[in-house]
Amino acid sequence: IRTPVCVLRMPRGPDGSSRGFDPTSERYLALCPTTISSSDSAVDSATFVEEQKARTVLRERYIRSLLAMVKKDVHFTMYERVKVNAVFGASDIDILNFQVSDLQTPLGVQKEALIRCPDIISYSFSIDAGLKD
Amino acid sequence: MNEWCKKTPLEWQALLHKELKVCAHEKQQHQGWLFTVDPVSANIVLVSFEPDGKASIVTVMGHAVETVEVLNEGSDAISNRLVSLFMPVAPQKHSKEELESKKRSLKEWLEKNHIPVSEQGNSPETLCVAGVLKIDAPYRAEDCSGANEIILSRVQNLINNNPTAHTK
Repeated sequence: IRTPVCVLRMPRGPDGSSRGFDPTSERYLALCPTTISSSDSAVDSATFVEEQKARTVLRERYIRSLLAMVKKDVHFTMYERVKVNAVFGASDIDILNFQVSDLQTPLGVQKEALIRCPDIISYSFSIDAGLKD
Repeated sequence: MNEWCKKTPLEWQALLHKELKVCAHEKQQHQGWLFTVDPVSANIVLVSFEPDGKASIVTVMGHAVETVEVLNEGSDAISNRLVSLFMPVAPQKHSKEELESKKRSLKEWLEKNHIPVSEQGNSPETLCVAGVLKIDAPYRAEDCSGANEIILSRVQNLINNNPTAHTK
């Protein structure tokens, strides 16, 4: 039996029993790593504050990169040399699933699909870079 | 969990805007400027600028990362380009009077809709809704920040429907 480990991570749910991220949920315990990287719990509060700041900066940037990917054609490289294209829709809060449309599989086009992130090695897309300079 | 996922956010942040070579599972190799590392999944977002004016973005999933090597230290020019790719455009400058009138108009609109709104003592330019949501100058829907997504979306809707604002 896996024992739950105290989880320290950025996106906390709104409050208590609300709809957001819940580190004690069965889904989280089953699917997510048992711990999110951080320094030892013994670190002083100054390091902790610094770490949380770094986490917010990194996380905001990551979410913005996901936003930039919405409705774009994304190329997914998955395990066992599987390569598929799909139009990205959304991701869940703990980056476990991507919702995509028009998934082009070797067996045909799947109108809507969920891709499990642990099955992906990398994904790529392109955007216009010159517009906002 | 691999070595990469065990790094701390500070170690990841130290690599921002550098050029990296990332080796991943199944002999994959990717190279590009580091835009960010997701602190939850340890996913690495790499950007390379193509000659045709496009930017290609490759994200390597944190769980698939084998080695990460720094190729190039990066520069301010690269940092600016990376940030301008994804981050919202900085608000244009507003005069003090303009901001004050925008604030007043928004405050009246929110109060008309029975939303409790106050100015914070130490930073009067920031409006505060029910103690859980902040609205910074220049008071657009995207200037709201707060942890409660329900309140956030309702207030953002209200701001977008403010009949006295002529920003759009």
